[in-house]
Amino acid sequence: MSLILLLTQQMCVYLVIVYLVSKTPLFKFFAEGSKRLPHKVFIYVVFSLFCIMATYFGEQTTGAIANTRAMGAVLGGLLGGPVTGFFVGLTGGLHRYSMGGFTDIACAISTTLEGLSAGLVSYYLKKAGQSESVYTPSKVFMLTFCAELMQMSLILLFAKPFDQAWALVYVIAPPMLLINSLGAAMFMSIVRDQKAMFDKLSSSFSTNALKIAERSVGILSKGFNEESSQKVAKIIIEETRVGAVAITDCHKLLAFIGIGADHHLPNTPISSQITLDAIAQNKVMFADGVDTTYACSISNHCNLGSSLVIPLRSNDEVVGTIKLYEPKNKLFLNINRTLGEGIARLLSNQILYGRFEQQKSLLMQAEIKLLHAQVNPHFLFNALNTIGAIISRDPPMAKKLIKQLSQFLRINLTRTTGLVTLGDELEHIDAYLAIEHARFIDKLNVSITIPTIYHHHKMPAFTLQPLIENAVKHGTSLMLDEGVIKVNAKVEGNDLLLSVTDNAGLYQPSINTEGLGMNLVHKRLQNLFGEHYGIEVHSQADEFTCVSVRIPLEEATL
Amino acid sequence: MIRCLIIDDEPFARQEVADLLEKHADIEVLAQCGNAIEALQHINRLKPDLIFVDIQMPRINGMELIAMLNPEQMPRAVFITAFDEYAVKAFDNNAFDYLLKPIDENRFNQTLDKVRTNIAPQLLAPILPKQLAHLPCYSGSKLKVITTADVEFIVSDVGGIHVHCRNGFSHTHLTLKVLEEKTALFRCHKQYLISPDAISEIEITDTGADVTTHSGAKVPVSRRYLKELKQLLGFQ
Repeated sequence: MSLILLLTQQMCVYLVIVYLVSKTPLFKFFAEGSKRLPHKVFIYVVFSLFCIMATYFGEQTTGAIANTRAMGAVLGGLLGGPVTGFFVGLTGGLHRYSMGGFTDIACAISTTLEGLSAGLVSYYLKKAGQSESVYTPSKVFMLTFCAELMQMSLILLFAKPFDQAWALVYVIAPPMLLINSLGAAMFMSIVRDQKAMFDKLSSSFSTNALKIAERSVGILSKGFNEESSQKVAKIIIEETRVGAVAITDCHKLLAFIGIGADHHLPNTPISSQITLDAIAQNKVMFADGVDTTYACSISNHCNLGSSLVIPLRSNDEVVGTIKLYEPKNKLFLNINRTLGEGIARLLSNQILYGRFEQQKSLLMQAEIKLLHAQVNPHFLFNALNTIGAIISRDPPMAKKLIKQLSQFLRINLTRTTGLVTLGDELEHIDAYLAIEHARFIDKLNVSITIPTIYHHHKMPAFTLQPLIENAVKHGTSLMLDEGVIKVNAKVEGNDLLLSVTDNAGLYQPSINTEGLGMNLVHKRLQNLFGEHYGIEVHSQADEFTCVSVRIPLEEATL
Repeated sequence: MIRCLIIDDEPFARQEVADLLEKHADIEVLAQCGNAIEALQHINRLKPDLIFVDIQMPRINGMELIAMLNPEQMPRAVFITAFDEYAVKAFDNNAFDYLLKPIDENRFNQTLDKVRTNIAPQLLAPILPKQLAHLPCYSGSKLKVITTADVEFIVSDVGGIHVHCRNGFSHTHLTLKVLEEKTALFRCHKQYLISPDAISEIEITDTGADVTTHSGAKVPVSRRYLKELKQLLGFQ
């Protein structure tokens, strides 16, 4: 009985050591089965020492030693693999051999075999893709138990005289079998729990970060302002559960949510020095409330006790800050510090992206405007010439044409780049065609069949008109025979398809200068409605060119 | 009497020129043409002294039209354009006659005065295309435009000039001489032009050679052109 207690005592010493190691970075050597040499060496040293200490602290019993050496050898083999296990066992065994006694040979051999066999078991488990079961306490218990049984058998086999050996085994077998197995199992249990905690912590960290990223995506890219900042601050406080979250630009507070929101009011100038410093130095500032004191710059009664200020950057230039606070009675978690910096990076990217997008759309708007203001001069002067020719023969007709030309020009010059109805677009087309009809008379035949139910359908201005102008300019006006243009509308699934078909069939994708204008219309439709929409061209040389505009039938998306 | 043609694809634009000319008794309008092919026909037939020609016309523009004319029957040309920066610059540089749409009557009259003092055609070569990309053709009463690269050979006989492509033939008012000068077609016979790209086989005969084209047509090569043709194709 006293033997059990003694061995338990020994085991406890090991467990305490393991527990302590588990709190240090060295712990990862236990927790992960790396193939690298330093790792193997570490395992070898630690568990060889375990074996040696076990032998030293073991209890001298009738010329032999009751001990917990098996624990060291088995664990060394399990964590280090066959080779490491073998050397751990060999070291422990040789040391035991040097201590003498009638079981020295038997013990030395069995310890070596224990290390090796545990290593082999671990090797096969890993090969079978069950490397995690190395850490299962029940399995470790069984393995150690078997290993000790083997040791006892070896003692009976090799130690002489047999009577003495039998007497010894009779005394030490039960406690050694029990304590070694139990000890190894508990050791692994500690390792496993610690590992699980680690995993859980880092996975909750990743989950948090991913959740924030997922929820906040796209908000700031629509513009860095009070409204978007409020939304983002709300998401951050919900996901991190810090005391308060603030977002500022370089001059004023944009959003504040959480403790102290009563006196930290949005749209007030930045007052805290630490924020101003973060902006000026483009540096993360942290006042933990312990080493660096944090005091609210607005109210003495403010309950906030620590603050982290991270600059938001757009192209390395500081555009604002994001601030996380904890109240006086709460510690600022390290994990939130890291998370905070990650969030700031995420938001910075979004702001940058937003600016880029904004500039891109500005550029496009400018391009569109320029394109529309550009009335085809050839068309204009020919129109004036036609009116000039008509004026003396048919003054009312000339007057009508002047009115239509003015209307066409007015729409071109004043219409915004925003949305208009199909009806507006058709009006523009009518004005344009009135002039072209006067120019070409019976050489141009246009039929527009678009049901009136679609006339209120919204679309970007200058979507259809340029296509008709193209059909005349690059199509029918180059024909020797009569030019026919058909404008139709049809529904295809959830899309409205407007098509302009001419009978010239002169479309050449790369050569035509109309490419620019048509590309712009196409890009604008895609930007507005999505990749699925835009312009499609079908043509057959000398037969027809059909350009169709695909837009959503449902206007809900606008 | 100055005899003229008005060539423009827009009816009212032609009418406008005709109206302006009504005040000038010494100028007679022979006809109005709506495209370059019609114009070519009329020029060949009526041999006018003066043409008013719009630059921008379907398929074959005003410049190409003039490039297609025989030097002997070249009329004096007055160009008309609505807006063509490059052409206007070229006209100015060469002091060629041109009018801008809408036409200014004073300028119109000045131009006519200039023409009256010297009706001889100007040397327009510097602004004309060197090669014709398209050939104006007709079959029956139907006008068509044939891409020069599609032509296999052209033959001249009492019936006129016939343009043969892989998929049939049509007729043109262009002369063999103009075609020889303004295209990559090669003169292989007094009556024939052939496209070197269309040659599939050459068979030497007593009188010269017979060429077979890719579409299987036979084209004679007379002895005086054979050597040059062989050189062109890389035979010594």
